[in-house]
Amino acid sequence: MATISTQPEKPQVLFDNTTDDPTRRAPLVLGDNDFTSITDKVTGIAAGKPPAKWWIAFLFALSLLGMLGGLIGYLVTTGPGVWGNNQPVSWGFPIINFVFWVGIGHAGTLISAILFLFRQNWRTAINRFAEAMTIFAVMCAGLFPGIHVGRPWLAYWLQPIPNQMGMWPQFRSPLLWDVFAVGTYATVSALFWYVGMIPDLATLRDRCKNKYGQFAYGLFSLGWTGSSRHWHRYEKAYLLLAALATPLVLSVHSVVSFDFAISQLPGWHTTIFPPYFVAGAIYGGFAMVITLAVPARAMFGIKDIITDRHIENCCKVMLGTGMIVTYAYSIEFFVAWYSGHHYEQAAFLNRLMGPYAWAYWTMIFCNCVGPHVLWFKKARRWTPTIMFAAMCVNVGMWFERYVIVVTSLQRDFLPSSWALFKPTWVDYGMLIGSFGLFFTFFLLFCKFLPVIAMAEVKTVMPQAHDIVHDPDEPYNPDEDQADYRPDRPHYEWGKKR
Amino acid sequence: MPQVNQNTTGSEYWRSLEEYAKAPEVAELLKEEFPGYDPDDVLTVSRRRFVQLMAASMSLAGLTLTGCRRWPQEKLAPFASRPDGQAPGVPTYYASMIEQGGVANGVLVTSFDGRPIKIEGNPLHPGSLGATDAFTQASVLQMYDPYRLRQITKGKDDGDGSKPTWDEFIEYSATRGKTLRDDPGSFAVLSQPSSSPSLERMKDALLSMFPGVRWYEYEPINRDNEQRGAIEAFGKPVRPQYHLDKAQVIVSFDSDLLGCHPNQVRHARDWAKGRKSADEGSMNRLFVAESAMSITGSVADNRLPIRSGKIGGLVQALSQQLGLMPGSSTLNGASEFVQAIVKDLDKHRGASLIVAGPNQPAEVHALCWALNDALGNIGKTVDVTDEPKIVGGSGGGCFQDIAELSNGIEEGRIKNLLILGGNPAYDAPADLDFAAKLDKLESATHLTEYRNETSRRCHWQLPKANYLECWGDGRAWDGTLSIQQPLILPIARKGAESKSPIELLAMMLGEKEADGYTLVRQTMAQFLPSTGFENNWRKALHEGVVPDSAFKPLTARPKTANELVPPALAETQGYEVTFIADPSMYDGRYADNGWLQETPGPLTKMTWDNAALINIADAKELGVGNGDIITITVGEKSLEIAAYLMPGQARGSIALPLGYGRTASGPIGVNVGFDTYKLRSSQRPGIARDAKIAKTGKTYKLALTQNHHLLNDNIGMDLTEVRVGHKGEAGMIIKEASFEAYKKDPVHSTKMHGEHGSVSLQLWDGPYEPGQKRPGGPEAFNEPHAWGMTIDMNACIGCNACVVACQAENNVPIVGKDMVLMSREMQWLRIDRYFKNDREADPDAEHPEVVHQPMLCQQCENAPCEQVCPVAATVHDAEGLNVMVYNRCIGTRYCSNNCPYKVRRFNYFDFHSQNPRGTGIPGMAAKPWLLMPDMQQEAMIDKIKRMVFNPDVTVRMRGVMEKCTFCVQRIKRQTIDAKNKWARGERDKMTVDDGAIITACQQSCPTQAISFGDLNDANSEVTKSQQNPRGYKVLDGLNTRSRTQYLAKLRNPNASLASTGGGHHQSEEASHTQEAHS
Repeated sequence: MATISTQPEKPQVLFDNTTDDPTRRAPLVLGDNDFTSITDKVTGIAAGKPPAKWWIAFLFALSLLGMLGGLIGYLVTTGPGVWGNNQPVSWGFPIINFVFWVGIGHAGTLISAILFLFRQNWRTAINRFAEAMTIFAVMCAGLFPGIHVGRPWLAYWLQPIPNQMGMWPQFRSPLLWDVFAVGTYATVSALFWYVGMIPDLATLRDRCKNKYGQFAYGLFSLGWTGSSRHWHRYEKAYLLLAALATPLVLSVHSVVSFDFAISQLPGWHTTIFPPYFVAGAIYGGFAMVITLAVPARAMFGIKDIITDRHIENCCKVMLGTGMIVTYAYSIEFFVAWYSGHHYEQAAFLNRLMGPYAWAYWTMIFCNCVGPHVLWFKKARRWTPTIMFAAMCVNVGMWFERYVIVVTSLQRDFLPSSWALFKPTWVDYGMLIGSFGLFFTFFLLFCKFLPVIAMAEVKTVMPQAHDIVHDPDEPYNPDEDQADYRPDRPHYEWGKKR
Repeated sequence: MPQVNQNTTGSEYWRSLEEYAKAPEVAELLKEEFPGYDPDDVLTVSRRRFVQLMAASMSLAGLTLTGCRRWPQEKLAPFASRPDGQAPGVPTYYASMIEQGGVANGVLVTSFDGRPIKIEGNPLHPGSLGATDAFTQASVLQMYDPYRLRQITKGKDDGDGSKPTWDEFIEYSATRGKTLRDDPGSFAVLSQPSSSPSLERMKDALLSMFPGVRWYEYEPINRDNEQRGAIEAFGKPVRPQYHLDKAQVIVSFDSDLLGCHPNQVRHARDWAKGRKSADEGSMNRLFVAESAMSITGSVADNRLPIRSGKIGGLVQALSQQLGLMPGSSTLNGASEFVQAIVKDLDKHRGASLIVAGPNQPAEVHALCWALNDALGNIGKTVDVTDEPKIVGGSGGGCFQDIAELSNGIEEGRIKNLLILGGNPAYDAPADLDFAAKLDKLESATHLTEYRNETSRRCHWQLPKANYLECWGDGRAWDGTLSIQQPLILPIARKGAESKSPIELLAMMLGEKEADGYTLVRQTMAQFLPSTGFENNWRKALHEGVVPDSAFKPLTARPKTANELVPPALAETQGYEVTFIADPSMYDGRYADNGWLQETPGPLTKMTWDNAALINIADAKELGVGNGDIITITVGEKSLEIAAYLMPGQARGSIALPLGYGRTASGPIGVNVGFDTYKLRSSQRPGIARDAKIAKTGKTYKLALTQNHHLLNDNIGMDLTEVRVGHKGEAGMIIKEASFEAYKKDPVHSTKMHGEHGSVSLQLWDGPYEPGQKRPGGPEAFNEPHAWGMTIDMNACIGCNACVVACQAENNVPIVGKDMVLMSREMQWLRIDRYFKNDREADPDAEHPEVVHQPMLCQQCENAPCEQVCPVAATVHDAEGLNVMVYNRCIGTRYCSNNCPYKVRRFNYFDFHSQNPRGTGIPGMAAKPWLLMPDMQQEAMIDKIKRMVFNPDVTVRMRGVMEKCTFCVQRIKRQTIDAKNKWARGERDKMTVDDGAIITACQQSCPTQAISFGDLNDANSEVTKSQQNPRGYKVLDGLNTRSRTQYLAKLRNPNASLASTGGGHHQSEEASHTQEAHS
């Protein structure tokens, strides 16, 4: 019905909504979908039996999670020396992983909050799982600072809890700001995600056939009935939370960047870090969205909801933020040169030509060269190139943190203290294990929760405003297109007529 | 007002008028203990009311934080008394002595509740003057080594498992005694050279009782050559007493006068005097010609890397140039050096000094005597005194002794051997194959601290007492007698307690009173005035020295150069190999000492290993890199050893440090490094010739604490060069100048070109605002003291005494080689060693300049570490110390990242509890441990090992950061004491006097390079030293405002030799093939 194809004989064109025809808006949901089919599809994933692929992926992720648990046990019983951290590289993989995962956690809230406020309706198809990704990435991120400390059982001292020692934390330390920033971000993101999910949870509750599911979905849908009053409250709450979450998207990685920028280490002590980190985080976050969306939409057969156009949009965001990141990399060198400061210049020379130059050039290739294949429309539509670019960014952004943490620490002021950093098997194991944590939760989410924000997707479907038509008149899709006003809330569509 | 009852009679106490009036209300009130209180109220209170009350209380007490109210401070002055003669927690100090290489050095031992925990130098002792070397500092760890032999054992190899007592041994020796009486010639004693008069007495007693018994002495690092040279020159054994403070020009030929010499500590002190006087306008000049860079060479003003075998020619040429010998040598490459020396010596007759090293043959030593005499130095810069006795029982020196003994056993003459200490099976010259000789003996008994290579080939192993466990005596280098007092009873099995050599001999000789105390007291009766002996004895014990017992200078004069046999100028085809004492292991006796194993070599910065030190150009020719295993073949013996490319090593010469590759000892000591004794022959124990080097293709990991980027890391080199300085320029972190330039412009000569003065810009006020600014003192953190430190790089020789002292004082753990390889060493104080050279003119760093920069927490007033700690575990105290609160630290390690000096150390594992030798699995240095981490140390650290801990300092658990705090425990001990005295009215001020607080590093420093004290005190030593124009703060530009200041290094090279690179840019390469002609 919503096909805009001029060549209807080619079935794959059914899924092509990437052609930009200025005379009409591209539809956001493709295929022969109506409200029922959307509900059927999405709840089918949660209610139905998972495909075998899911089981394989889940068991694999779970075993990696088990390995992570084992390694943490080994770490706590043995000491932080199981990592490769040393003197002077006191921070190694744990902090690299922390910053990496926090960065990943940016895209979700950006998509769901900022794009919501900017009325980017294409977000509806991907916002739910992007937010889920955020939550799980922040979980991974939160894990590492907790276990990276020398005495993890005392990590709670970072919290400002009144205690018998009469001690507050030291408020000048960026690590403390981190606790607040990441904590707030995790809380608000989780809340935002959950609130947005309530109508869909109610749908699942209503469709669920087993007792436990009914109880659980019933409990978490908070008695949602879909009444107008509910919707009214819900939309207000959602809007408020979006407004609350939006500054956090910018603040959390700015604060994380302070961990570095506040110190006086050459290579860390840079005012450019907050915007550079935020851009990098969005860059990395979108890469991870693509990394997850591309296989997930194939696995669950929802290519008509998460369309090629969605993927293409993500690619475009990556291109934009990727250029900001590239700019940041280059301006760092300019500033180092312009400062006339020996130690600053030394740190950057060391990045280019020192013992970790390989990491630097890996980063440059992955972040500044590889993804630029996406300038070509064909590349943005061909899964292998899309995945290549996304994986480039995933790897590149991890190496960005590696370069920042390791090469700066490795050679600082006194040449006598210079040393190399070599990760141990525990470092690698924990990095891999953190993906196990992430994917275990992500796969559980895919299985048990609505991966698509059904209620929201429906609002961007043409059928959403059938009510303005005379029921006696035959449905005219072209007319419907004209009514579709993404710049307005859906309940205002067609009002002027 | 109630009516006063008039009926009362007699006197009565009353509390109030109402009571006095016996008012009925009063009577009512008195009935109850708590008036107005109804217990039923509480019982009948409603649930609602109860909850209300509880909530109100909670909010009042808890939530409004009134429960955390700070009560006004009231200072109490408790009156405390203690039992007589005992003050728990207050250390006592005892004077004692430690002997190494047959020379006793005075020490002052700190004893805590009966445990000796720290060794300092004895300020009254002439050889120490209060300082020590690294070995002495570390000796206390040996005392508590749980793997020391603590009982008598019997049987070869691993022993027969029996645990005999002394009674059994006496019984055994009595049976051997019968043979002894029948055939005394079959009996021999092998002792280590000792200056102990008591041991001498026991020896005499033994020899007079059994005239045929042979007494031998052996130590692998000895003074054979020096003594033979003295005999050649004087006709009798004499000992030189160098006065380095009086010498303006010092010429050292292959002698590590400041690093490895029995009188090293005193030499370093005297030499430093002549350096520090630079601020007063005079400075001594040190010429060193040597093959391997020694500590002395590293601080030389002009250094010539030259093969040790050529030094004889060099000394001869010098004599010729001075006109003492006929002829003239042409010394290609070295002639300029010799001429410069000649000029300087000529100018400073009577104020110069020429010294030759122990590896140099006797002829060189004799010639040096003649030179000193000709220059008028004898009696001025060098005194001639008696040598108590020539080392070696045979009178021919150690190597002759061990060879004779070996022959005796081989020929079957000697069948019974008593070995008093030492480890000849390991360290005797390889050609003697002494270990195999031991197997031929009928009876071999070893008095030993460890079941070592020798013990395993003996029939009996007797536990030798540590010097802190037994009585003894000895003579300092200058002859001063010292007494060794035990600080603790032997830690050993009952009935088999460890004994000292004198006790063992006395016991075997059947002396009635064979205890050490009596023996030493009897000996001292010979030296102390008999009138009032008890008083004199006590005084000697108390002070640790016997007054006026030093040798008197002799008036003897040596033969002239012409009368002496000229040094043999033998030439060599292949490489030359020199055997040197290792700066950490000495001759191998410290193998079980973890502190020393982990002390980085002063110049190699190598821990837990030795390596063949090889010239970089030679290494390039051979295609050898750092850590590549090479095979060195000398004669028939060959050795596989890792190579270390050593800047400043002479071409064609390879230095092999002794003391590693032990195969039998405690778990710390075995299989560390390479056993270089395998190449040492009794014929050429010092310098072996015609060695062949081959590359094996194998590599070996050397655990260095300081990276060096000499050959393959150009970017690292470039960056380092700017910071350290090059071509005579001061660098960013190392400041230096030539003495000439310094005299002209004291302020700017030591700074970089165009460098600005100190940056003390403040955007805002410091976090701590003092009551008032003290004149001259710092503006903040100065209540009531302001601690500061100055380190004089001009005096520092990099000898590591401070490094070990700090480790001992502050319970710093050792981490093991695996962890050093991962850059996790824990020493709070490290000595940064930098080489400088002109890379274009000297690409192979043959003529590097060396800088030693002790680096410890700088106690920044504006400390970067404090601001980033999220839990406030590192904070500033009011006196300017950057202190660590260990139990607050959770180990985020952010402080370490932000410390520009990288002086913070992190406990990655529970290093005290774990085996430093590791698990053998990379990355698995510690085993998982399932106890609560807080309890690991209690459960894991050996009961004896833990006795070495300083109770004043926390033993840190894993996961916390630690660092230097200027020995805050020492500071507090003094400030608390001063404050108490001030409160009692015994002092007029509550601040401590200058010099009362001495940090551990400062105390141990032989050159007194470190000064510490109160910057508020305008007259304190540290305040004065911080006003020195050479003063600078490292990384001052970061505005850390550190309290530690460095004084720039000065070099005083001969002007005729180029001013940098040791002053000899002309290639010495030529001398590789050239030789000296006469």
